[in-house]
Amino acid sequence: MSDLSRRKFLQTTSATALLFFTGLNKDGHAAPVKAYPSRKIGNIKNLKVNEPLTFNYPDESSPCVLVKVDNQAVGGVGTEKDVVAFSTLCTHMGCPLTYNKGRLVCKCHYSMFDVSRNGQTYQGLASQWVAQVVLRVDAATGNIYAEGVEGLIYGRIGNLKIS
Amino acid sequence: MSLFQRKDTLPVPPLDAERYTTVCQYCSAGCGYNVYVWPEKKSGTARSNAFHVDLSKQAQLMSGFSYTETMHNVITRKNGHKYNLAIIPAKESRINKGDYSIRGGTNAQTAYTPTGHTRDRLKDPLLRKENGFVAISWDHAVEILATLTKSSMDKYGSDSIAMKFYDHGSSGLGFEDNWGAGKLFLSGIKTHYLSIHNRPAYNSEVWGSRERGMHELNYDVDDARLADTVVLWGANAYEGATVFYTEHIMPNLQGGSIDEKKKEFASGEPAEEGRIIIIDPRKNATTTVSQDISAERVLHLRPNLGTDWILANALARIAWENKWYDSDYLQKRTDMATFEEYKSKSLELARPLDAFLADAEKITGVTRKEMEEAAAWIAKPKEGGFKRRTLTLYEKGIIWNMKNYDQVAAIAQLNVLTHNVGRVGTGCGRLGGHQEGYVRPGAPTPGSIYAGGPPKNVDNYITGGGGKLYWVGATDPYLSTPNSKFFKKSVKKRAADLLDYLDNGGIPSDPKAYIAKVLEAFEKTDGLFMVVQDIYMTHTAEDAMLILPAAGWGEAVDTSINCHSRLLRIYDKFLDAPGEALPDWKILALVGNKIKALYEAEGNKEMAERFSGMDWKTDADVFEAGSHEFGDNKATEAEEARLSAECYKGVTHKMLRKLGNEGIQTPVRQDPVTGKLVGTKRRYKYSFASKDGLFKWYGTDAWTGYPAEVAKYINNPAYPFWFTTGRSQHVWQTMYNDKRIPEKLLTLPLPYLEIHPDDAVNLDLKTGDMAEVFNEEGSCLALVYVNDATKPGLVFGLMYHAKGTMNNLISSYTDPKTTIPWYKGTKVGVKKYTGKLDDAIKTVSLLSNNNVTIQ
Repeated sequence: MSDLSRRKFLQTTSATALLFFTGLNKDGHAAPVKAYPSRKIGNIKNLKVNEPLTFNYPDESSPCVLVKVDNQAVGGVGTEKDVVAFSTLCTHMGCPLTYNKGRLVCKCHYSMFDVSRNGQTYQGLASQWVAQVVLRVDAATGNIYAEGVEGLIYGRIGNLKIS
Repeated sequence: MSLFQRKDTLPVPPLDAERYTTVCQYCSAGCGYNVYVWPEKKSGTARSNAFHVDLSKQAQLMSGFSYTETMHNVITRKNGHKYNLAIIPAKESRINKGDYSIRGGTNAQTAYTPTGHTRDRLKDPLLRKENGFVAISWDHAVEILATLTKSSMDKYGSDSIAMKFYDHGSSGLGFEDNWGAGKLFLSGIKTHYLSIHNRPAYNSEVWGSRERGMHELNYDVDDARLADTVVLWGANAYEGATVFYTEHIMPNLQGGSIDEKKKEFASGEPAEEGRIIIIDPRKNATTTVSQDISAERVLHLRPNLGTDWILANALARIAWENKWYDSDYLQKRTDMATFEEYKSKSLELARPLDAFLADAEKITGVTRKEMEEAAAWIAKPKEGGFKRRTLTLYEKGIIWNMKNYDQVAAIAQLNVLTHNVGRVGTGCGRLGGHQEGYVRPGAPTPGSIYAGGPPKNVDNYITGGGGKLYWVGATDPYLSTPNSKFFKKSVKKRAADLLDYLDNGGIPSDPKAYIAKVLEAFEKTDGLFMVVQDIYMTHTAEDAMLILPAAGWGEAVDTSINCHSRLLRIYDKFLDAPGEALPDWKILALVGNKIKALYEAEGNKEMAERFSGMDWKTDADVFEAGSHEFGDNKATEAEEARLSAECYKGVTHKMLRKLGNEGIQTPVRQDPVTGKLVGTKRRYKYSFASKDGLFKWYGTDAWTGYPAEVAKYINNPAYPFWFTTGRSQHVWQTMYNDKRIPEKLLTLPLPYLEIHPDDAVNLDLKTGDMAEVFNEEGSCLALVYVNDATKPGLVFGLMYHAKGTMNNLISSYTDPKTTIPWYKGTKVGVKKYTGKLDDAIKTVSLLSNNNVTIQ
């Protein structure tokens, strides 16, 4: 199942905990394969421009940030398409990223990522753009759900492969 | 949602994956990398894998092991099978310690794949026909090129063959390819019209230092951590030699190397956090990152364009007046006869200090206070009377400045005057651009105007109608040469003249008939037969008659040295070259051997002999053959200065494979006592590289204003801005790989211009607009970034980009002493572009890349 179809599958459920479905692993044994969880991470009504909220996703060892920026963003949600979320592990060597005025900044080697432009490294050493969290807004409640990650979270061989 | 396909898992190499060591194909830092290749269907596990890293847990920050999306690819080998490829920064390399740059982190993405980013690699020799290029066999390509070269030499002389070929390591495949090119062009063809990849002539860019007896690569990476002061002079280290900055300069500035200093310094000598002097007209990211770490230990001087040697002499005069020199050292290690000339012309001791410095202030725009502070940081003894340790690194801001020779000489002399060479934590030389790997027979022009020069300007020769055959290897002069618009127009016309002649009556397909018709065209037209040897189709190649497909990095075994330690390592072969592509040395040998055979068939032994010695079978054979050029390297440690900087005599591929990321530092000497091969960590402790071992002083020229090619713009209101150029952190050279990698092209989709907010207001420009940059040489349409990197009145442009070059704004001026261009300075006009903006601006980041401080 592709990441996209996995997300669609999840979007049709109300699950907020980790979901599992069965597949065959490389040795041919049945094994549980993790899928991206759908997790409520905030409410669109409470977000203020450039005031980030932190959360962990898809698991507790992956810190992320949710932020409303002051312009339309690639992958942005909400009526202005200005709400985005990213992993805050620098894709260069895993240092913590700090949100500051539309960008994520790493103080280890000064890699800087533009959160309005898909997390692109616009300065610094990180050859991989920072991983962006896929968001969905529930129109009725304004609740924001994290439902996937595009791009690899630093320090993993798979976003869902941490034991 | 993503702007391009992303991955959220990566395959893991099994324990039995193939493993190779290599070095990054890009900048002068030369970071070590480990390469893993394994069948696509096989996999290791999180706990059992060839990385020998437990991948089942979230990695810790700065662990020294990184494996990211950009470090993996799937390749197809000639056997038709698919393999995973992972290229990982080497933790065990003392150069990078697991660190990597945005360039090196994409090494895997540049591997040839039949369906991926690099699918349009050149795969066959191509000959231009009526309707474009057609593939031909190597046999035909070699027959055509060898016969045309020989016939042209026989009829019009060796100088009818002109060449422009890379002479470096890393992306250029080092010692092997350079020996190949040297044998063919310097021993065989013997043309005087030779030029190096990035400039119009065949010259050193630093004869101003070499002719003093000081090769420019004389320090070790450790010196950047051990220096009291690092001077970066026209050298954007954070964006150009990134990992050298982050692993060696940055820790020094942060105080992270104090313990190392305590171990290496003399007893009782102060060991403190390092300082940095950045001499650059632009407040680039090297400056702002350094300032963010410690503003009080950063000094940023912003001289007017072209004036740096005046500044270097002013700093030296201040050091002289304060007696911040060691008379004993000067007398023992330097030539006191030529010192008089230096004192008279460079230090101008006959003039009062105040008048001398007032003039220097006026010319350079740097204040006396700044000069005094910089001189003190470079040369003022530390508490207790210990000599300060200063490492001074310059690069294109100096080399490609007005008056190349004097600029380089002035900085070299400042450092020798203050004994900042040959000691721990010192050194004076190049930051470097690419890595090196030069071994060739002697060049026809041995030095500057003071040593048998200057060398011929091949651009002028070609644009002036000279030469019949022009062979371009792994460089794209339509983008990269100065005054590039004029160059392109001239070459295009000459190529068209030749094609028109061939086309009349049809271009023959039979090689012999084709050759005969080209030779007719040589006689009857001013046409130019251009040959381009490269890995991709280039801007220049579009006007070639013959294109030769070359192997790239990882597709042949090669060896190079980095710039900051002269560390010789093996860059192993782990990829198959696409299609019929061959290593450059092999292409050159095929042609050389064919010319030899043609002369032998005529019974011309003398000419056949000139093309002998190219019958190498393997990469290791070429490496070994080149080593003999270095002569006898039996020398004691104290005799190292007499060895060529890149001497590797006695070293073999086998030995380097065993040494892996450890490598060995050139010059390699054979110890007279033990007979063992020994590397050289740092140079010129005991003597310099002149006949008598003494440093040779030189009296620089006085300020005489700007050359006519630029002076014509001064006081012309149509061209109010000073203009300088440079590189971007993201991409390498002409973007030949990077324009194919989505991460790179999305972030750097267009040539760009930086302009100060004060100037932008007057031109109604804002970030994200486009502007026309123009002068009488050429013009360029560029994306605008408004920021404080430049001063009011100065604009900065990306030197060249796959979609446009700013070198067409640059004049044809070269330093008459060396034939090195002034790429970094002219004057331009700027106006807002009112047409439709490029769509790429919708997805490019418009944030300012020199704003690194969290507010």
